[in-house]
Amino acid sequence: MNTIPPDDKKWQALLAMSAPTFTGDDTPAFGFVTSTLARLKAEKGERDMFERIGLRALFASLVVLVGVVGFSAGLQLQERLDLEPSVNSLAQAEDIPIA
Amino acid sequence: MDAHIDVADCLRRWKQGDESAAEELIRYLHPVISRIVRIHLPRRDHESDVIQEILMKTFSRLHQYKGDAPMSHWVSRLALTTCLDRLRAQKIRPEVRWTDLTPEETEAFDAAWYGSKTPDATDAIHARDLVDKLLSTLPPEDRSLILQVDLEGRSLEEISASTGWGISKIKMRLFRVRTQLRKTMQNLEERS
Repeated sequence: MNTIPPDDKKWQALLAMSAPTFTGDDTPAFGFVTSTLARLKAEKGERDMFERIGLRALFASLVVLVGVVGFSAGLQLQERLDLEPSVNSLAQAEDIPIA
Repeated sequence: MDAHIDVADCLRRWKQGDESAAEELIRYLHPVISRIVRIHLPRRDHESDVIQEILMKTFSRLHQYKGDAPMSHWVSRLALTTCLDRLRAQKIRPEVRWTDLTPEETEAFDAAWYGSKTPDATDAIHARDLVDKLLSTLPPEDRSLILQVDLEGRSLEEISASTGWGISKIKMRLFRVRTQLRKTMQNLEERS
């Protein structure tokens, strides 16, 4: 026969005695909903702000990146157009058009 | 749709910035969370703060809720995980000695043994404090497991589904927990 050891019975009895303290509340305490909503609103506002800051930072870094790329491309083009002085003077003397 | 409110409608309204939808969700989820927190955390463990923390987590993770199970189930899992995390941060008591008990707790211990009187609300609180002391010697997962079985009356299959543990693992753990509790109770009896 499967019997419950006495100490297990005692544990069960203790649990049964304390059972009312394990029951949850059906309704929140006074002020709980208001404070939770306020916290929720504050956290949502904070998240939105971080999102906005993040988007602005992303946009600003994109603008900087485009600027840097444009500047370096311009420099490269300039370098390609800059000929050696002797070649330049020869081109001028012969009136060779340089594209 | 959950039992009392139209969760999908509430979620849609909350996404559109309707605060009354959030209030409805809070009022709907509060009893579910309150019950889990009261079962799985010791009596004096800042209950209201924990419930609020779980609600904050719920709202910040709403995008993860797929709607394939009732929202109360999804939130229950989140609540239990939060309780376990909180318990993990607390120190596990090596043992409970007779001298650790208050006179009211020793009375509750004897009452449980002899069933000497019909317990009232105060007795229930003292018995709970004693239960919390006994449970504080267990690792968080074991503590949660014994309460799910002995207090909530959940089946091993249900626990297996929520924890992902196999039935034999649960049985093994339960056996270990019961043995440890038995030993603690015996120690208390010998010293009483």
